[in-house]
Amino acid sequence: MEYAVEMCHITKRFQSVLANDDISLRVKPGTVHAIIGENGAGKTTLMNVLYGLYKPDAGQIFTFGQERNLKSATDAIACGIGMVHQHFTLLPRLSVADNVVLGCEPKRGLRYDRSAAIERVGQVCSKYGMQVEPERMISEISLGMQQRVEIVKTLYRGANIIILDEPTAVLTPQEIDELGKTLEQLKNKGKTILIITHKLEEVMAFSDDITVLRNGRHVVTVSKDETDIPSLTGYMVGREVHLGGTKQEHPFTEELLELQDVSCSRDGRPVLSHISLKVNRGEILGIAGIDGSGQTELTELIAGILPCDSGTVTYQGNDITRRSIAERKKDGIGFVPQDRHRHGLILDFSVEENLLLGLQREPRYIQHGFLQNRKEIHAVAKERIEAYDVRPADSGAKASQLSGGNQQKIIIAREMGNKPQIMVADQPTRGLDIGAIEAIHHTLVQHRNSGGAVVLASLELDEVMILSDRIAVMYAGRLMGILPAAQATREKIGLMMAGVGDAPEVKP
Amino acid sequence: MDEILSLLLSVIRLCTPIFIAGLGNMFCERVGVLNLGAEGMMISGAFMAVLGSFLTGSAWCGVLFGLAGGMIAGAIHALICVEFGGLHAISGLGLTIFCRGVAKFMCVAVFGSTYSPNVQAIQTTELFAGVPVVGQWLKQLSPLVYLAIILGFLAHYVIFHTTFGLRVRALGDNPRAVETAGIDVWKMRFIGVFICGLLCGLAGAYMGLGQLDRYFDGMISGKGMIAVIAVKMGNWTPIGIAGTALLLGIFDAIQLKLQISNTLNLSPEMLAMVPYLAGIAVLCMKKKQDGRPMALDTIYLRNRYKF
Amino acid sequence: MKEMDTKQIKAFRGIGRKQVMDIIMPFFLVFLAFLLSSIWITFMGKNPLEAFATLFRGAFGSATSFANTIKKSVPIAFCSFAVIVSMKGNAFNIGAEGQLICGAIGATLAGALFRGLPAPLHIFLCIVASALFGMLFGLFPTMMHRFRGVDLLVIFLLMNNVAEYFLQYFVLDLFKSQNALVPSSRAIEKTAELPYLIGPPYRMTIAIILVLICAVVLTWFFNRTVAGYEMRAVGQNRQAARYAGIPIGRYTTMALLLSAMLAGIAGGLEVLGNYHCLYTEISPGFGYDGIPIALLCNANPLLAVIGSVAFGALRNGSLAMQAKVGISSEIVNVIQGSLILVIASNYFIRYLLNWRRRAK
Repeated sequence: MEYAVEMCHITKRFQSVLANDDISLRVKPGTVHAIIGENGAGKTTLMNVLYGLYKPDAGQIFTFGQERNLKSATDAIACGIGMVHQHFTLLPRLSVADNVVLGCEPKRGLRYDRSAAIERVGQVCSKYGMQVEPERMISEISLGMQQRVEIVKTLYRGANIIILDEPTAVLTPQEIDELGKTLEQLKNKGKTILIITHKLEEVMAFSDDITVLRNGRHVVTVSKDETDIPSLTGYMVGREVHLGGTKQEHPFTEELLELQDVSCSRDGRPVLSHISLKVNRGEILGIAGIDGSGQTELTELIAGILPCDSGTVTYQGNDITRRSIAERKKDGIGFVPQDRHRHGLILDFSVEENLLLGLQREPRYIQHGFLQNRKEIHAVAKERIEAYDVRPADSGAKASQLSGGNQQKIIIAREMGNKPQIMVADQPTRGLDIGAIEAIHHTLVQHRNSGGAVVLASLELDEVMILSDRIAVMYAGRLMGILPAAQATREKIGLMMAGVGDAPEVKP
Repeated sequence: MDEILSLLLSVIRLCTPIFIAGLGNMFCERVGVLNLGAEGMMISGAFMAVLGSFLTGSAWCGVLFGLAGGMIAGAIHALICVEFGGLHAISGLGLTIFCRGVAKFMCVAVFGSTYSPNVQAIQTTELFAGVPVVGQWLKQLSPLVYLAIILGFLAHYVIFHTTFGLRVRALGDNPRAVETAGIDVWKMRFIGVFICGLLCGLAGAYMGLGQLDRYFDGMISGKGMIAVIAVKMGNWTPIGIAGTALLLGIFDAIQLKLQISNTLNLSPEMLAMVPYLAGIAVLCMKKKQDGRPMALDTIYLRNRYKF
Repeated sequence: MKEMDTKQIKAFRGIGRKQVMDIIMPFFLVFLAFLLSSIWITFMGKNPLEAFATLFRGAFGSATSFANTIKKSVPIAFCSFAVIVSMKGNAFNIGAEGQLICGAIGATLAGALFRGLPAPLHIFLCIVASALFGMLFGLFPTMMHRFRGVDLLVIFLLMNNVAEYFLQYFVLDLFKSQNALVPSSRAIEKTAELPYLIGPPYRMTIAIILVLICAVVLTWFFNRTVAGYEMRAVGQNRQAARYAGIPIGRYTTMALLLSAMLAGIAGGLEVLGNYHCLYTEISPGFGYDGIPIALLCNANPLLAVIGSVAFGALRNGSLAMQAKVGISSEIVNVIQGSLILVIASNYFIRYLLNWRRRAK
């Protein structure tokens, strides 16, 4: 049969990293084909090669039987390949129609024909049964609609093969269902769809065929009916995986942290409204929500980075609302920020200096009042590197040279080394391989078991559900509700993530 | 009444180089390239314009030379910022120092001193001499001023009503979005910087042949930086830039008038400071700058250069 | 797991190569800048090699010229210290030129207005005055940047222009000397003049020692003290430093003010040590020399001293180039400019030099 897409022996290397190692892929036309693998397996690279963004070092690409030499995205678009990237490539200050037609704008001479653009977008939408509002600004519409705009973009250019890169990362469970329906419709119109994802539930729900990649190599291609989630996990990782740590019983119960009616704003826009919650010792409070729901802001509030406009923050019985970041660190609030490169580490500093970041004013690191105690700093660094198995085990190496997992280990080693009472972690396992994820889960659960508290914000609902003792759900800066883990189901949480579920398109 | 009109003409004359260079910088910044080398481009334009007029005996040929001079300077900045992935601020700064040095160097080599002899200039527009009532005023402005006004309208139309302008606005906010739409980001950035070079060269040519009729080292003295301010405070639109340029031109005109008439008996050096102090004051004003391209001063490397 | 370790090992081996690269790059960039400038020299019909040979001889040929080179490197060194300190604070002080001028004005005033003071005290006062004047000149832009979000680079450049005009006003009008042949300001008292380390004909003052002391103190400050660590953190990654609880606004301001003080001292030392009064040509662009040096030396004060001597040689030797080979001394500005342009292209040059790795 003629395959919609055939990639033969694709190899792509980046300096010392072999991202794709002799991968061969065949996609049947009119199907939804999922490409799965853990972070770093090479899925995005492979699809970027298909979309012409990267030139493969070796291998060939065929669409519908014809060989293609793709030198840029333009070539790919000309062959009928469209891609919706993980981070949307939309212009917030332009309208939906402008965004869709960008690159193939309707014009009258030199003049840009805006009304023709709006008309044409309407035509594409009705042809494929999609719904967008052509005249609105991107900055005003929801993420779900933004994703639809991205898909309309590809359809406008006549794509027959549509690649979706991690499409569900920013969607509520309801919006994910909507996406599933959209994909069905597109399939019925004869489109071939490739999805890159690491979320196995969605894979089983949407796809017809599944290809698994691991460490840059092709492992297996199966049809959905022939497999199940445990097998897929096995293919993805190659060994038994134990996420979620081992929770143990413990006697700790007292309240550690309380937020009372806290509201914050950033750059004039409100980001948190009237949040009230409590965190006790010996528990993991998970914060679930979609991107932009206020999870990050909540963690930054606790850590002292985001000042609050009103309300109080009480910690160990004291009002710490006005306390600075440095003071809170001293009090025992540890923080693992979301962006490890921009906020968590200084890439040009050595591992040793990074382990010191935020703790440099502790008495044991200071001599004579203003000099640094090099010996002590070095000794402590060595200890931590060993305890957390940071590789390479060289405290003098620059942080930029370590892998993402090891960089995250440094941050966690540093924060945990400060013996915090409460660990606040924002997306601590994002972008990491399974091994690192296991280690971090283990660390957090250990902390909980020994009486510490953990506030864990994560976009991965699975992670939140497997780790938390209680789950708080954020939506548009509001706290929608807190459920004990035993009572939490995907459906309930999903509704809250979408703002109580009746209007799935409300702006995040 | 005459006094006011002649002051008005003076204002227009003085704000024109800022306006033209500001338009150029607007294009450059809207494609995402910061340009602190506007001064250098203007110097190149001014020197080449005077040189051209000197060599050919025609002022308009001089203007063409000036455009070429600005383009060459623009090409250097484009090469470093767009292709080589260099830091825009450092490239701009280096460009200014480089152009100033080269211009002075060549001036000494060609003319034997740091200032050129007087050359054919286009300081007036005889075309309007015949127009009743306003003709006598209109003819006192260089034709390049009228060209500048036309360019202003043209720039507005291009940015806001053409597909090219749409792509430029998109590029300034998110180069990645534009690249994935299949548009050549680098070609567009090059074009933006080239337009900037052309316009800044024109601004310099105007200063050399439209305002004065010669070149001397230090004649641009900061107008390039003022143009950068005009773009920022003008919210990256031709209308805003015109407004800011006029405001700054007013200060420049007042200062010049005081120097000539010597009414307040102030030292000329102190008066010469006024335009810069005005520029600093404008810079420190709180004005909305929501038109700022979100991807301004970002490096966007071609994929094959990444290592 | 195995793939991960191999990646680490490869990164490790890469370190060695990268360090060699780090050391070679500055020299290579300077070489490229000279190459670019040769184009202009050839354009003028002269032989670049001959020109550069004259340059070198003019800078180091005789004992006197060597002394002059070292003397010229003093203000350049302080200006590069100024830029380095500002870079460590996550800012870029291109206003060093204006601050240098103000420092020179401050030293002139303190040197001429105070009479009857013992020499060591007077000199100390003058240096403090130069630092103070430099700092005050840098205060306004710094505050505008911190509290109004004004673009630092633009306002610094404009302030430089203002300073140049004020200098003219000061020397030719406000504080002008009544009986000098060349336009200059009033002279400073004898007690304010810097003592010589090595007397005439070389006239090398203690300013040289001040440069070395300053370099050592700065290096020690950044590498050994807690405040130095915190400032470096702010300079390398502002946001990460903020998340670590370090007061970033305060450190950037401190860095800029300290930077302005150093630039002011540069100007002051020129007045106190070299001219004993103020000329309008006090700085042929020393403030701008500091920028490429700071960038090339990777913000390392000790290396910057060497870089400053190189630049001093450039400036000194260019005079000989002008006299003997007939190339206008403006070539220094051309070299300065092309050096900065080459530095800006740093990444791409590294990419080109990596051709061996890319071929694999």
